[in-house]
Parts: sequence; C-alpha cells; structure tokens
Amino acid sequence: MPLPNHASPMTSPAGPAPGRRGFLRSACRHCLGLGALGLGVGASAQTPPESPALTLPGRFPPPALDSDEGGLWALMDREEQRLRRSPFVLRDAALTGYLQDLVCRLGGEHCADVRVHVVSNPSFNATMAPNGMMQVWSGLLLRMDNEAQLAAVLGHELGHYLERHSLERLRDTRSRAAVAQFIGLFGVAGMVANLGITAGMFAFTRDQESRADRLGMVLMQRAGYDGAQAALVWDNLLGEMRVTGGDDAGSRNPLLATHPAPANRRDELMRLAGGRGGELRAPAFEAAIGGHRLEWLLAEVRRGQYEQSLALFNRGLTRLPDDAAMRFARGEVYRLREGPGDLERAADDLVRASAAPQAPVQAFRALGLLRRRQGDAQAASAAFDQYLARAPQASDAALIRTYLTQLPP
Amino acid sequence: MNTLRLSALLAAGFLLALLAGCAAVVKIEGEQNVKSRMSVRVGQAWNKVSAPGSEQPYEAWTQDGFNLDHLRLWAGVRSGQALVGQAPAAAGQRALRVPVFRAGMAPDQLANLFEVLYSADGSQVQVTRLEPATFVGEQGVRFELSIIRKRDDVPLSAVGWVAVRGDELFAITYVAPRLGFFPRGRPGVEAIAASARLR
Repeated sequence: MPLPNHASPMTSPAGPAPGRRGFLRSACRHCLGLGALGLGVGASAQTPPESPALTLPGRFPPPALDSDEGGLWALMDREEQRLRRSPFVLRDAALTGYLQDLVCRLGGEHCADVRVHVVSNPSFNATMAPNGMMQVWSGLLLRMDNEAQLAAVLGHELGHYLERHSLERLRDTRSRAAVAQFIGLFGVAGMVANLGITAGMFAFTRDQESRADRLGMVLMQRAGYDGAQAALVWDNLLGEMRVTGGDDAGSRNPLLATHPAPANRRDELMRLAGGRGGELRAPAFEAAIGGHRLEWLLAEVRRGQYEQSLALFNRGLTRLPDDAAMRFARGEVYRLREGPGDLERAADDLVRASAAPQAPVQAFRALGLLRRRQGDAQAASAAFDQYLARAPQASDAALIRTYLTQLPP
Repeated sequence: MNTLRLSALLAAGFLLALLAGCAAVVKIEGEQNVKSRMSVRVGQAWNKVSAPGSEQPYEAWTQDGFNLDHLRLWAGVRSGQALVGQAPAAAGQRALRVPVFRAGMAPDQLANLFEVLYSADGSQVQVTRLEPATFVGEQGVRFELSIIRKRDDVPLSAVGWVAVRGDELFAITYVAPRLGFFPRGRPGVEAIAASARLR
C-alpha cells in the first residue's frame, strides 16, 4: 500500500492523498486527543504543576486493515501470538496481574487494551507495541527498588503508546526510504520476530523518548507515586553503565544514541518531578516479585558481566542488607571473578548468606566451593554436607560428592 | 521423512549461505587434528567451517548446519585466553567480558565458563548434569545443559567435556535441538570425545 509522505500525524496534518482518507480520518481523531495531551504535557515540561492535569485520548479503535497502521498492528499481533507461546514468557498469573493492575492505575481506560507479558531476560528493558502488547523484562524488574520506579518505566511505555510513537516512526522511516535498513537489521523473518523490540527500543527518536518521559511523569504522579523515583531509575542505570563506559557514560553512550543521555534524562525528570513527593509502595512491589528474585539473580550472575552485576548488587544490599539471596549473588560473583581480594569478599557474603534463615541452597554450594578453593577442608566439607542435605538430587551432586571424597581429613 | 527432507533443505540453505559469505567448508572424517594439539577419531563425516576474518579459538563442525548441530573443539587454550573471540567495544566503551580460562581453575569453574558462554546471547541455560569425567587422559568434568535458544525459542540440549593439561584447556561441546537432532547426534559425539587424545 502507498505510504503517507509525512513524518507524523501530529506535525504534518497535510491533505490526504486519494485512497488514504479513511486512515487519516482515523489518525486525526487521535490528533485531537493527542493535541490536548501534548498541551497538558507541554505545560508540565515548562513548570511542574501542582496537580498534573491531563486529558488522555480515548481508546484507540483497531485501525483499518488496509492502512499502514493496520499492517503494523497485524505484524504486532503475530509477534504477540509468538510471544504467548514463547518459553521466555513467565507464566505467573499473580505477577502478571500485579503489573496489569499497575498499568490500569496509570493508564485508566486504556488498560483494557494493554496486555502485559513478563519476559525472562536479565537485561534492563521494557517495550510497548502499538497494538497494546507490553513486554517487561525480568532484568528490569530486578533493578527496580519499589513500585514507584516501576510505575515510572511503565508510564513511560504508556506514553509511547498514547502518542503512537511506533506509527510515527514507521512513517518517518519509510518516508526516508530507510525500510531496507530497517529490515536489513534482522532479515525479513527476524524482523517479524524482533519487531516488538525494534518498535519499542530501536525506532524511537530522542524527541519521542523525551515526550514519553514527560507523559510518564504525569501519569505516575496522577496515580499518586513519587515522581522523583523516575529520576532514580536513570541514576541507578547510570551506575551500571559507568562500569563499561567510564564516568561520563551517561553523556555519550552509543547504545542509547536514540535516547536522551541518561545523565540529562535524570536531571530533567528530577526537575519535572518538582519535589511533590508521593507513594513508593516498596512492600507491595517486593511481595509481587519476591518469588522470582533468586532465579533473576542467578540469571544476572550467569551473564558473566561481573562488574555490572556488582554495581547492581552493591546498590541492592545498601537498600536491603539482610536480603540473603542478593548477598549470595554478590558473593557468587566475587567467587567466580577471583580478582585480588575477591575470595575474602566472597567469604564474607557467603558466610552471612548461608547463615540467614532464608538462605538459598546455592549459598551452601558456593561456600563449599570457595572453602575448597581456599584450602579449608573442614569448612568446605560442612558446607557441602549442608548443600547435599538440602538438594540431594542437585544436578552437580556427583561432582560435589567427588570433591568431598578428595578433601583431606 | 519430512524431518529428513527439512534437514536436507536447511543444510542446503546453510551451505548456500556459507558460500555467499565466503566461509570455507571442509568435509572431514577419520583421524582429525584439532589446532595441532588434540586428535580425535571421527566416525561419520562432518563439515569443518571456518570464516575468514572471524577466527575463533575453537574449531566449529556441523553436519546439518549450525542451527541443527554445532560441535566446538578447543585445544591448547592458554591461561588468560578467552574461549570466544571478543567483539570490539563501541567507541569510549569497555568491551564486555567473555569467558576466560585461567590456569588452576577447578572443574566446576571450568564448566561454569561454558554455562556463561552459552548464556551470552540471552539464551536460557540450565546445568542439568555435572560430573567428574576423564577427557584427553586427564581428570576433568562432563556437563549437560538445557538451553532455550534466544533467537528462535528452540529448546536445545548440550553436552560437553573439559579438562586441563599442563595449564592448557581442552574441551568439546555439542549443541543441538532437543527433539530429534540431539539424540541422533549424541552417540557419535560421545565417541569423538572418548577418542580425544593430546598430540
């Protein structure tokens, strides 16, 4: 189908070409709603309002199948069908329901059109597709300190959805004859499989990201959350990025070239928050994700990016010093990295983690392996015994039993 | 029958792609010399694939294409050497870590290198078996992994052997789709691992 030759329905309400009227009527209905939305958000960008006023656009009707938007939706629907079958999707009704409720709290009536999928992936990411498919990666959930921070990210994603940035971007991309490049990144089959990620992460411009930030701030504050937590999300991410990018990582990270620099983003969000305060709801967040924390920590350790993981765990343990799972995870990273002084640091963490009432069974394994490494046969034997008593069918039980027989008396 | 036809088509496609990318494919069978440090005996024929410009510290073999079976063989990896080539870092960035062998690693640490290696692309990896084993005449470790491949959600199985001789690492890993391909290829790979000798 021919494509509209303009960048965005928001900025170029030019007359429609024949054959596209139905689509543009649909687009302009959205423009009206988005115009009001833009004004409200624009005002908040100038001076933080006392009480965020915002008129959300009405629910988006399904686009005509023969429109470019309809084509995009169809692609996303296929991607969502694939995602539903994917073994990477976490099938936890309670956690998904918690996230869906949060979307409803932020997005009002649009929550009926948004479907949240939790994806097992240790990286920090969330995406929002124009058909209402929202993906939240487990690595993002692991990095949130409270519900307010999660609301900031989901509010940001809803901002993309409400302003229909994916559609803007698709038209902009096509208008610049860059479709080949767009597809060439993944191949045709790969494009279908990755479009959710592409639309959510690759395609948005810096301006769209900034607009989504501003709208997300309004949504989270309207729902009663502390807007300053949005700034902390980027502060925390900066801490990890500095590991690979140096102290000025936030100002020139090429991986985030389409995003505002995180350092600027943090400052702008803090300004938008306006010091009004609000809810954090940390206990509710902990209750929702607590059952998955250990598996996500193990996935983080398995990435093998030890310095980034340590930045994350150090921050987490400052906040939750008695979190046995996170203390085990940090000890495990030190044990595996084996840099100068690491084995001693590992011992501190693993002894403390294994002594906790909620000690993960893996803490005993790690402590035994560490003590064996340090030549402390007695301590290694005691830790291995505890590990095998708790997990006699462990996948590595044969190796651990061999280690036990090899330990000097 | 359908599976065979599909695998033949995939293999043909794979070979075509390799030719287009100028990768070198050599049919191998019988006694094979790996990186001049290890010899193995190959029962059925394999294809040894090497792509100019992207040399790796291991040899890569396949029968039906890397998506369907992937045998990797490391021989004589020195302390401080990575198990895979490191992607260049972006400007101003430090390169991401890759698994690096260090002399003196315990068997569990050796196996962990491969757990990290196969997790690197975002695939889900779980160690399903880890046990002492003799490999290249040394006491080493044998491991089995369950993998969900990130790019296409395909469940894979993997088996591997790793041992150290004189501060150098020797290893073989085999990865294939859990259904059909892995059970079919595993006996041959077990035989290859059992035949591995130092040169």
